[in-house]
Amino acid sequence: MLRVCPDASGRARCQTGSVQPAPAILIVDDHDGFRRFVRGLLEAAGFTVAEAATGAEATEAARTVRPGLVLLDIQLPDFDGFEVARRLAADPLGGPAPVVVLTSTREASDYGGRIAASPAAGFLPKDQLSGAALRRFLARAPA
Amino acid sequence: MSRRLLAVLIAGAIAAAGGLAWSGWPPHSDYLPILICYEVIGSSYLVAGIAAWVRWPSSRLGLLFTIAGYLYLLPYILVNLANPVAFTIGNLGQGIYTAAVAHLGLAWPTGRLRSRFECGVVIAEYVTAVGFSAAAIVFWNPAFSGCDASCPANVLLAGDGSRSAGNAINTIGGFVGLVLTGIVLTLIVRHWRSARGWSRRAMVPLVWLAGAVGIEQIVTGGVLNLPLSSLVSFGLAPLVMLAGPVLFVISTVRARTAGGALGTAIVDLGQGASPARLREALARALGDSTLQLAFGRPDESGYLDTAGRAVDVDRPGPGRVVARIAGSDEAVLVYDEGLALEPQLVKLTAAAASMALEHARLQAEVQAQLEQVRASRTRIVEAGDAERRRLERDLHDGAQQRLVTLSLALGMARDRAAQADPELGSLIESASKEAREALTELRELARGIHPAVLTETGLTGAIQALAERSPVATTITAVPDGRFPAAIEATAYFVVSEALTNVAKHAMAGGAEVTIYQRPGRLVVEVSDDGAGGARPEGGSGLRGLADRVASVGGVLRMDSPPGCGTRLEADLPCP
Repeated sequence: MLRVCPDASGRARCQTGSVQPAPAILIVDDHDGFRRFVRGLLEAAGFTVAEAATGAEATEAARTVRPGLVLLDIQLPDFDGFEVARRLAADPLGGPAPVVVLTSTREASDYGGRIAASPAAGFLPKDQLSGAALRRFLARAPA
Repeated sequence: MSRRLLAVLIAGAIAAAGGLAWSGWPPHSDYLPILICYEVIGSSYLVAGIAAWVRWPSSRLGLLFTIAGYLYLLPYILVNLANPVAFTIGNLGQGIYTAAVAHLGLAWPTGRLRSRFECGVVIAEYVTAVGFSAAAIVFWNPAFSGCDASCPANVLLAGDGSRSAGNAINTIGGFVGLVLTGIVLTLIVRHWRSARGWSRRAMVPLVWLAGAVGIEQIVTGGVLNLPLSSLVSFGLAPLVMLAGPVLFVISTVRARTAGGALGTAIVDLGQGASPARLREALARALGDSTLQLAFGRPDESGYLDTAGRAVDVDRPGPGRVVARIAGSDEAVLVYDEGLALEPQLVKLTAAAASMALEHARLQAEVQAQLEQVRASRTRIVEAGDAERRRLERDLHDGAQQRLVTLSLALGMARDRAAQADPELGSLIESASKEAREALTELRELARGIHPAVLTETGLTGAIQALAERSPVATTITAVPDGRFPAAIEATAYFVVSEALTNVAKHAMAGGAEVTIYQRPGRLVVEVSDDGAGGARPEGGSGLRGLADRVASVGGVLRMDSPPGCGTRLEADLPCP
């Protein structure tokens, strides 16, 4: 598969040729269309992608898929993204906990201090979503 | 009372009083004060009789006063007539009025005697008065009393008479009279002690006056044989007989005073008084502490008074009378039977009670309606808030979501097209920019409709967001943690939002300060700035709408804006 290297850090990897398999990403969002679109976007960026439409599905998928990063919509039909992040952090399943990135069509300021208070690694507005942005989160995460 | 009876009574009174003056004129100089004394006492009973008849047509008190008046005056008129038969009857009848006065005392205040025994006592009074006079007159030679030949003859005189026999009979009669007086006084005191409410108060002056009459009887009754001048024994001492008319005057004044006091009591009662307080006010005004105000139970199982005691309106108990309160078929007054003599006063009391109850009912109704209006206003605002929340959420889930996807897709398309066809790339870039701007505008719109941050984090985050977005440097001094009812949170938020908008637009301020704190049951929101001040509370629809919004949740909005000293807006909101 052709790997596109959309940003500096990605390019660095391409150039050294030591391309590691990109970690799996779990998209948690109840909008099918958006999920499908993001899957395309991220697969194009070289990620393996799994999907979940609800909070319950998300925790279940995290157990089976063991993603490196969870892109977690805050607005979910059952429990909200903050709660899912809390559950994922509380249940590391023995392995390293995934990097959780909260996302929303709203801005971070619409959630006040809740984002900072959550165990998630950070927040990415949906309209700024890109493989590069996710890689930055992965790079920041402790090994 | 019929006009004919009234005319007869007035004519009779004038005739009797005039008759005494005419028959006794010209009096011997020593007898002028005595004549005046008789006139005053006799006519006062007749006048009191007429007045009592008018005031209490249903009672026998008018009749009793009138009888006492005639029994007092007629014997003296007869004695003065130069006719032996009249002279004899007149002498026979002197003193019989005391029986009528005793009758009056025992029948007070209703006009009815209370028992057969008391009837017997009254009959004994009349019989004793006439009987001993009749026995003594047989032995009384007018010459014994200093009569000369000009005196008419005693037609009942046996022989030349006997001073000692007459005196003996008079002494025995005096003793019997004293015993009867004692019985009457004892009965009166017992009436007073057993009386309650209105009647008890009516008995008080009687007890005093009866005591005075009793003392007068003992002093001048001849039993003690005190050395009294004729002026004292025949002129001044009998003045105590004015007790009867005085009693009437006192009771009349009392009823008038009570009537006036009722009006004052209702005015003083003020708004929203409970039935118990109404009863107290009426009882105090009337001077009848036993007055009861009773209401029909909702299940129609009888009546309860304001103290919660059951009241049988068909058999209210001895000495008690029931009156229904006009305009209210389930409220009644229960009062002492003595008060029944004053139908006007009872009517007045019932009218006062009816007015007060009606007033209380209307007030409760208005209050209830006001509560309903308040509640519905709050509900309308809450429904509006809920609708705005839903709208914001719909925008977020729908249009915002699609625009985000569109924007991302355009971004991707631009990246792919940029290398192959730069012109197409820049075209897509401008479309992407449009999409991003549309998204930003839509976000602002959604935030204006309802701030998601308020729903998400409550006041803490929402006020923080407002302060950060405000173009004027804004300090948050305090915002309580924790959540409040949605309507209160939304109102507090809109107060701060509107206030900060105004600061930015009009105040020319260097900084603003937001403080939100709790007092027991209240949440107070304060926004102040260091700007130009001089803002008018009525100025601007934003502030008016805000005042309405604050009022809708039962809060108060205050603005303090002295020219040159900044503006301070305070919303005091209820907060359970």
